[in-house]
Amino acid sequence: MIRKLDPNPKNPKSRGMLCARGNAGLLQVYDPKRIKKPLIRAGARGEGKWREVSWDEAFDYTANKLKEIKLKHGPQGVLWSSTEAFAEVFFKNLGLAFGSPNIVRHPTLCLASVNLAYSVTFGAVPSFDLQNANYVIMAGANRFESFITPDTMDLIDSTMNRKTRLVYLDPRFTVTAAKADEWYPIKPGSDLAFILALVHVIIAEGRHDKEFVKTYCQGFDQLAEHVKKYSPEWAGNETEIAAANIVRIAREFSDAAPRALFYSGRRSSWYRNDFQMRRAQAILNAIVGNWDKQGGVVPNSKIALGEFLYLPWDDPEAPRIDEMDKNFPLAAKSDGAYLKLRENVLAANPYPVKGWMICKQDPLSALPDQSKTMRMVEQMDFIATIDIQMSDTAWYADVVLPESTYLERQDPVEVLAGIWPVVVMRQPVVKPVHDTKPCLDIVQGIAKRLDLGMYFDYTIDQWNEAAVKELPLDAPMDYLRNHGVYTPPGGPNYGATLNPDHRFVTQSGKIEIFSDRLKEFGHDPLPVYQPPEQPPAGSFRMLVGRKAYFTHANSSSNPWLLDFAPENFLWINPKSASHAGIADGELVEVSSSAGSAKLRARLTEHIRPDCVSMLHGFGKRSQWLTRAYNRGGNDAAVLENGWDGVSGNAAMHETFVKVRKA
Amino acid sequence: MSQKRYILVIDSRKCINCKACIVACRAENRVPLGHSRDRINEERRGSFPVLLATFEPEQCHHCENPSCVRVCPTGASHRRDDGIVLVTDDTCIGCRYCMVSCPYNARFFREDRGVVEKCSLCSHRLDRGELPACVQTCPSKVRACGDIADPESEVSRLLDKREYRVKNPQTGNAPQIYYLL
Repeated sequence: MIRKLDPNPKNPKSRGMLCARGNAGLLQVYDPKRIKKPLIRAGARGEGKWREVSWDEAFDYTANKLKEIKLKHGPQGVLWSSTEAFAEVFFKNLGLAFGSPNIVRHPTLCLASVNLAYSVTFGAVPSFDLQNANYVIMAGANRFESFITPDTMDLIDSTMNRKTRLVYLDPRFTVTAAKADEWYPIKPGSDLAFILALVHVIIAEGRHDKEFVKTYCQGFDQLAEHVKKYSPEWAGNETEIAAANIVRIAREFSDAAPRALFYSGRRSSWYRNDFQMRRAQAILNAIVGNWDKQGGVVPNSKIALGEFLYLPWDDPEAPRIDEMDKNFPLAAKSDGAYLKLRENVLAANPYPVKGWMICKQDPLSALPDQSKTMRMVEQMDFIATIDIQMSDTAWYADVVLPESTYLERQDPVEVLAGIWPVVVMRQPVVKPVHDTKPCLDIVQGIAKRLDLGMYFDYTIDQWNEAAVKELPLDAPMDYLRNHGVYTPPGGPNYGATLNPDHRFVTQSGKIEIFSDRLKEFGHDPLPVYQPPEQPPAGSFRMLVGRKAYFTHANSSSNPWLLDFAPENFLWINPKSASHAGIADGELVEVSSSAGSAKLRARLTEHIRPDCVSMLHGFGKRSQWLTRAYNRGGNDAAVLENGWDGVSGNAAMHETFVKVRKA
Repeated sequence: MSQKRYILVIDSRKCINCKACIVACRAENRVPLGHSRDRINEERRGSFPVLLATFEPEQCHHCENPSCVRVCPTGASHRRDDGIVLVTDDTCIGCRYCMVSCPYNARFFREDRGVVEKCSLCSHRLDRGELPACVQTCPSKVRACGDIADPESEVSRLLDKREYRVKNPQTGNAPQIYYLL
């Protein structure tokens, strides 16, 4: 029996802390409404009637359905979707070995735009050295409610010890706004104007790092010409941040450089221009020369792991259904573009997809426009979900394969990249309480019945031993078993790319301020601002966000967490609410062209009058999520479909809604 | 060895209201659902866009002169020599005088056992040389817990170096949570 989880003080990522969710994680193991055995649907989809079956029966059933679909539609007829997890690699490999090109992962619901923007500019995905920065500009990333290790701890520490000045932009007065030195409730969608004006001031006043720009960058002169029109006065009108403040921030930022950074955050799925907005952030960071320096933007270091040499399979023959090559040729092809993929599945374009294998993901909650996802569910001949709990998507599946929780299973060894990368190994602390299996066992069970067993002919220990055998340790497995984490000696890495002969992984080998590659593919080679559409009178822009005590849409049913927010509310400014005659606590209906949700209104000064906002992860359909079922409203039901044209990343802050008494 | 005297020093500015302390306490002390031994007081002021929000963790102040101990008819509420104020389940009769007398609203009645419960400063952890769960788990390390009798301890050094206040000193309870200014 697990009584209590303590932080691992040896892990430099977590800085010796465990958040509320980490502390509450043990209740996942002992949740009375866990999925305790494999389940096969016994009623209509979503009716909640299940038959408990043996693993053999569940595997046979799943494999037979997959074979049927393969026979009729080819291997591309099955979609494999999963979200970030140490064991995700096994699931993904099963999809590939099956022969399907249709593997879709989470980045286009998350950080695809920021990753691509930095890849195009610097040829690398960086971390932001908040521990050593003296000046930080952050837009929307709300790091004090949306936790990332070690960024959250580093930033609160340096901000509150008066070492770092934090300038924060957000239409909501979040905890991060409350702790910042300056908070600006920027007009939503105008972030790019603010950044371009900063670049304008810095270049106009000759405050950029001339030596760095000359040595490492290409296209600076074009940038200087390009930003001439983006004056602080112009940006003041666009952003509602006074021109004088923009000028002062630009000066303070460049004075503090290279220990100054514009932080990009993780879930960058905001706007249809998100890629270009993140590109502008990358360019701003480039011209003040904070790249790869203490307190700046630092390319992620990795630790090379060995690979278990499994039998390789043939590449899939069919093209991806989201046609990445055609639609998003610059984006990470193997991750896919989720929303475009959903469009094409619904249109059976260019071919039908009739099977859906899902691992640790809840598309009904995670994707905007839930009614479209529901149509995708309805058009599938077969759906199987691997999960630790009965998510909304599992609730509509035909087969539910219960995975052991992270406290009951051995996970593959993984590297957490960063300025100071570490190798981590998650080990079971108790035996599985119910008839559940780790992901690899589930993958092998299905693979064997699809005659693909030879591609997965290894144990988790063999996999891990191969991974760690090159680490500079006497007995790497023993070391990881004892410590859970391996931290290479020497501390954080800076400056490896700061050598005039270094070739950046870009077309020119330089940091690309002006991108010929973008131009070649028909995109703006420098970020061009277009004023965002604003909500018509009587409508609001819908914003979504997180709290530190819930993980995405997953933990709102945890009894140790849910009393902090037993339901979600619609944040609405009292001025706007009084226009609509809405009182605090009143039930309202919030609706868009995609759909609607009912939840109670929370009149708060903490949001702009032209926006409303709701917390993610409520209004659940699954009755096994006993404490979250039917409580509050589901943001996924209201958010409209839409994406950034370069990266394919979802655009989740582009929905205009109406609010009325329910 | 000289007598230890435990206190808490809290830097509320660093609190981001993430609730990790409350959940760590729930796990460590098996706090019954619906209750908590620690809390975060929130204060919000202003109107858009001139706004202020502050967060202040609070729990039993482990007073030097605790009113709960004075009013307890059975001696269940007591103060250890090291300053930790505790309730002994076996002798608590659930009369709740202590709850009324506590100026900090730091206690609750536990229906399932008929006793009053509160923060124990994780005395069982301190006794084996570990920090209280709330202190250890905190992402921003808001709290420091230690021995004020030891001039070299972290809490002594913090109070030497920083301005601080205690809450409601006029009660005469001599509370032992020191809030840094």
